Amino acid sequence: MAMPGVTERPPGTPPLVQLRGIAKYFPGVVANQDVDLEVWPGEIHALLGENGAGKSTLMNVLTGIYQPDAGEIVIDGYLKSFASPVEAIAAGIGMVHQHFKLVRAFTVAENIHLGWSETPRRISAQELEARTAQLSASLNLAVRPGARIDELSTGEQQRVEILRVLARKARVLILDEPTAVLTPSEARELFKALKEFVARGNAVIFISHKLDEVLEISDRITVLRGGRKVATEPTGACSEKMLAKLMVGHEIVLDDLRARGPNAVAKANEPVVSLREVTARDSTGHVVLNKVSLDIAGGEILGIAGVAGNGQKELSELLTGMRAASSGQITLGGRDVSTADAADFSDFGVGHIPEDRLRSGLAPALSVTDNAVIREYDRAPVSLGPWYRPRAAAALARKIAEAAAVMVPNYSMPIRNLSGGNQQRFVARREMRIATKLLVAAYPSRGLDVGAINTMMRYFVELRDAGVGIVVISEELEELLNLSDRIAVMFHGEIMGIVDSAGADIEQIGLMMGGQRAAIPVRAAAMVH
Amino acid sequence: MAIRLQRLPSASPAIALAARAIAILLALVTAGLLLAASGAQPLKLAQQVLKSTFGSGFGLEDVGLLVTPLILTGLSVAVALRIGAWNIGAEGQFYAGAFAATGVALFIPGPTIVMLPLMFVAGALGGLLWILIPTLARAYADVSELITTLLLNFVATLLVYYVATGPWLDPGGHALGTTARLKHDIPEFIGMVHWGFPIAILLAVITAAAFSFTRWGYEVRIAGSNPQAAKYAGMPFRRHLIVVMLLSGAIAGIAGMLEVAGTVHRLQGGISNNFGYLGIMVAVLARGSCIGVIAGAALMAVILNSGIILQTQGINTSTVLAITGLILFFTAVGDELAHFRIVSSKPAEA
Repeated sequence: MAMPGVTERPPGTPPLVQLRGIAKYFPGVVANQDVDLEVWPGEIHALLGENGAGKSTLMNVLTGIYQPDAGEIVIDGYLKSFASPVEAIAAGIGMVHQHFKLVRAFTVAENIHLGWSETPRRISAQELEARTAQLSASLNLAVRPGARIDELSTGEQQRVEILRVLARKARVLILDEPTAVLTPSEARELFKALKEFVARGNAVIFISHKLDEVLEISDRITVLRGGRKVATEPTGACSEKMLAKLMVGHEIVLDDLRARGPNAVAKANEPVVSLREVTARDSTGHVVLNKVSLDIAGGEILGIAGVAGNGQKELSELLTGMRAASSGQITLGGRDVSTADAADFSDFGVGHIPEDRLRSGLAPALSVTDNAVIREYDRAPVSLGPWYRPRAAAALARKIAEAAAVMVPNYSMPIRNLSGGNQQRFVARREMRIATKLLVAAYPSRGLDVGAINTMMRYFVELRDAGVGIVVISEELEELLNLSDRIAVMFHGEIMGIVDSAGADIEQIGLMMGGQRAAIPVRAAAMVH
Repeated sequence: MAIRLQRLPSASPAIALAARAIAILLALVTAGLLLAASGAQPLKLAQQVLKSTFGSGFGLEDVGLLVTPLILTGLSVAVALRIGAWNIGAEGQFYAGAFAATGVALFIPGPTIVMLPLMFVAGALGGLLWILIPTLARAYADVSELITTLLLNFVATLLVYYVATGPWLDPGGHALGTTARLKHDIPEFIGMVHWGFPIAILLAVITAAAFSFTRWGYEVRIAGSNPQAAKYAGMPFRRHLIVVMLLSGAIAGIAGMLEVAGTVHRLQGGISNNFGYLGIMVAVLARGSCIGVIAGAALMAVILNSGIILQTQGINTSTVLAITGLILFFTAVGDELAHFRIVSSKPAEA
């Protein structure tokens, strides 16, 4: 077996980790199918893919969080099956998750020794710290044993996590998007530590969607798409362009959804919504949207592309009044709405299909009727003055369900009893009723099957042809290219550029999703032509 | 073919009701077995209880007196649940309401026709003020109302003990550890049952109607079920939280006022009779429904009354507490089991 890119090893050495034909299914979703993966001693192996490509599921199978529905796990030549992460770590497989699992009120030493069979039953704080210092020195990962986790920077916390895993004699270290939380200099230190770790005959699996760093750090790269392995290549043979193409997929079928019908309203000249240098912060003060400028015209569909977590959710909240901007200006139909709330936006004709419908778009435990009228409960016929009319509400619910082609056996049953696809169509129809100016749809096709996605897309086209401005946030580039007139690409809370969908260069969009700026100046592209 | 259990996302009302009836029956049977094991004769006792409770107008009137505060404390807890808050402090708000109403009756002179409404308002305000701090702490600092309302119960209980045995002690000295008899009584409605009973039922009906037939009620329903959805729809979650929690406290305060002005006529330590805590159970039995609270309170009142009867038969008061606990326990199990159905089918495909 020739393994280019990996240092010489004696013949007969088995791979440290071998996954054979792994499959994992969730209700209605194939998360992994036929995935083979080999990781050799001394190797940093990058796992690349878009969100939802199945990277995390595959690693959860390897670390015993999930049990595979098919396939085998071979560690060091021995067939294994892990019932829990504890068994995986005992076999030398450790994972550092994206969200650290540390006890914030405990010291570094206490966290390292927590839940570890080698921790002595009775031990003083000094001894704990001494043991930690020793571990830290022997593994060459600098930590402050006596410091509380609260006092540490994110980079330091990550080192504690890594030390925790390595102290348990992990030979394979899995890192889930480790640099997402690091500053560039912290990332550099991490890379150095990883190189030293594999030099001792261990291996690292490095999950990422950042092309540049994958090319920098890894020895080989495996690309997953739609739950399947697309390719495993030595890093030397890869380029950013080629990886972007592998990640996003070759065949982008261009449907004709962008074409206007004969009776369609033409794209308006005046924008319905304008953002000017809008910056937003999260509750801890971190910038989540950085000086975003954007115009959306009536009768156009603007796609927002990007890897999830790069500010799309915040942008959708900003466009629907759920989040206030910390600086910059938002105008809706020429009116300054920088201080308006979600009810004002909805009154103005902004519909919102939220990212997580069960968490924010619906009250899952309440009835179909209650959920149907959440946008129109404050006006006739559902309300007269202060009075709420349950019958009128039920009538509206029936109307929405009919428009959405959702069969509702009982309108007083909790809406969570409806299937995910039905809930989504129901919410979409509800929002279309009020979206006279703008509809913001965040990941509208997530969790839907192909037929339901098509229905959803037709809804959007129908609204666009009626002259409504539409913003569609999606991870599916294909979907965006088929549907939208323009695509804005987000990265780290910024818009990297806006491209016309017609004749768009998929590779270029892939590169922008990974953090490259558009060749065209962003500001010029942001203007409505 | 294989027999397996399937969990449904929601239980059908008929099955849920049946599960409750079976649960209560099982709890009583269990209690009976325990009583038999400790040498009592449960069947004879049950007969005695039924006869004393339902066999005479006297027994029913006793139940009527017990049910009034239970409806209101149950309603208080159920109302708070509508906005997703656990008011464990109905007990304290009950004391605060009784305290405020007594203060008004003792120190403000006036004719009964004026004083009773004044005491009613004072009782409501007392309960409202008692929940004010937990409400604001929850609304503005996200402090768990569960803890704060619970802890304030002890403050209220001790405050009432203090005034009843200290500054407000009956100067006539006719009774130990109570205030003087209040000059204003709530008139009788039927037999010994005072007008507090219809008032309590009316309050439950009005509250239920407000939740079902007003825009405000709809907003509270959404906000209580999913605050995130309220934010999404632009509803003022915090304002609703504050209003509903204060309403919850006021209702418990009214319960205290009715108890002191209608039934006990003196403020004394232990006047709440644990009604505040039992209200939690009433609300849970009623599944948070404002109308259901009436039925839950009736069941609770019958059990409490049975306890009094059992005591005359030489059974320890703790037994009654154990029976109520058993009922709650079996009901919780029954509610969960009502979600399941048995299906026979081929094994699920891999």
